[in-house]
Amino acid sequence: MFKNRIFKRIYTNKTSLAGFMLVAFFALVALFAPWLAPVHNSNNPYQMPQRSYEIAPQPPSGQNWFGTTEQQYDLYYGVVWGARLAFEIGVTVTFFAFLIGLCVGTIAAYFGGKIDELLMRLTDIVFAVPSLVLAMVIAAMLGPDIKNMMIALTAVAWPSYARLIRGDILSVKRRDYVTAARTLGARGPRILLRHILPNSIYPSVVVASLDIGYVVLTAASLSFLGLGAQPGTADWGQLIAMARNWVLGTSQNPLAYWYTVAIPGGAIFLFVLGWNLLGDAFRDILDPRQV
Amino acid sequence: MNAAIEIQHLYKTYSRGQWFGGGHETPVLKDVSLVLPANRVLGLVGESGCGKSTLCKVLLGIEKPTSGTVLVENQNVAKISKTQFKNLRRVMQVVYQDPYSSLDPRMTVRQLLSEPLDIHGLYPQKTARTKFLKELLSAVGLAPNYLERYPHEFSGGQRQRISIARALTLDPKILIADEPVSALDVSVQAQILNLLRDISRARKLAMLFVTHDFAVARFLCDDIAVMYQGRIVEKAPAQELFTHPLHPYTRMLLAAVPQVGKKMRGASTPAAACGPNTEGACSFASRCPQAGSACRQTQLQEITPQHWCACSHLPEGENK
Repeated sequence: MFKNRIFKRIYTNKTSLAGFMLVAFFALVALFAPWLAPVHNSNNPYQMPQRSYEIAPQPPSGQNWFGTTEQQYDLYYGVVWGARLAFEIGVTVTFFAFLIGLCVGTIAAYFGGKIDELLMRLTDIVFAVPSLVLAMVIAAMLGPDIKNMMIALTAVAWPSYARLIRGDILSVKRRDYVTAARTLGARGPRILLRHILPNSIYPSVVVASLDIGYVVLTAASLSFLGLGAQPGTADWGQLIAMARNWVLGTSQNPLAYWYTVAIPGGAIFLFVLGWNLLGDAFRDILDPRQV
Repeated sequence: MNAAIEIQHLYKTYSRGQWFGGGHETPVLKDVSLVLPANRVLGLVGESGCGKSTLCKVLLGIEKPTSGTVLVENQNVAKISKTQFKNLRRVMQVVYQDPYSSLDPRMTVRQLLSEPLDIHGLYPQKTARTKFLKELLSAVGLAPNYLERYPHEFSGGQRQRISIARALTLDPKILIADEPVSALDVSVQAQILNLLRDISRARKLAMLFVTHDFAVARFLCDDIAVMYQGRIVEKAPAQELFTHPLHPYTRMLLAAVPQVGKKMRGASTPAAACGPNTEGACSFASRCPQAGSACRQTQLQEITPQHWCACSHLPEGENK
């Protein structure tokens, strides 16, 4: 019943259909990356092939479909494998952030009182610092590396899930069927796992899956600042970072190197746009106040 | 007489602690003493907020009593161990008011009815359990093939039948019904009341039936206790209470029951319009048509055999 409603809504609404198509397109690109852009360094498929050591980017050509960026890294390879890396980062970070948020939110809501107060003030502290700044500090402390960047992103993403799940559990906890389970003799773990979580986790799961776009955007920001992927990695943020010197082009032609910015930038733009459109559709469906 | 539930001088006070400054205390139950005899239906009648549901929660062990004792099958609810309480739950079960929120929406009828069996380790064998569940559904007037359906596929009355079936899975001796029909349409109310009456007779249940509706209480109950602001103000066998109501509050409530072909007269004063009560005074005094604020009688007294009332302003001809 529920799934049909979501799919029907996605098919009938043009913007949500566009979002779904965009995300599906990037998912296919990520899935078939080894066929779309054959691996050239089998130790690290995310390492972009370097055509030569010349500094200036080269425009799109038969050999390099999307052109090359600074130091002759192939943009086509970078965008295709970047899609795979984007999904990897987005899914991993969201999964772990959700897991931490789930544990913290559940413990806070279930036990309540002092524990709740303590855990929620902790999440407030994380919330109080702008998330990008906090992620930058953590990433800089751990050292520039994709894995460290993912840790930093997870560390700033979990509080929103903790809050969301806590709220949902608190509302479900008071329902009569939870009390009914208690009067039947059920103990805490059984009530939590069989009654409370199945009735409170679903909105959070959907919200989490739709936050992937935002996580990828933040990851790109960190890579752009040099706190994530290293030069030569097929990462969209990294590709934009390498285009930094070529944004303005030459004095005769300000748009001479447009492809170095527009292609990876466009990939990020479309990827995040897709998730956001899909997210809006889901939020409309899940919000009972909107008809 | 064999008592299924015995409540002695029960007090329940909700206190709200605050981070800064003192807490705030709200007394909900004041000196409640009641006996639910085995195999009888006791009606607990009172207006919203008088403490009826709190009394149920204390009986079910969801809330702890502030003082006083609650004996269920001669076991003190507040004193016994968790394991003993779990066993007690097989004896005492409950039907809730709202059939829409008391059934987990993500469970099928089979899962809902199986849960108490799982918890208490009954009918572990699958075919025997299915047979038992189907018999149970028939007993509450539902088709046995409803087992695999979800609660949202049922109407309010059917859901309440499922709720009753769930309460009966453990074959209890005591059933607490917390306003089980007040959320239902009047036509459905009658069906559920009939079902509860038949079941309580067939299974020889002791039932505490909480309601705010005298008509419902009259239909179902053997004895009736009237509650006002956390106190029992009158208790008597049902027939006696309806023919000779003694307490001014009971009489006010009975006069407020709408009847076809009878003009309503003398609307009662709403509780909110009353001034604060003097300490130790009868809490009904400020609404009472017969008493001043200094009326101090709060203890129940046996006026005529089996008929207890906490008021000195008795109708004429009903002297002690």
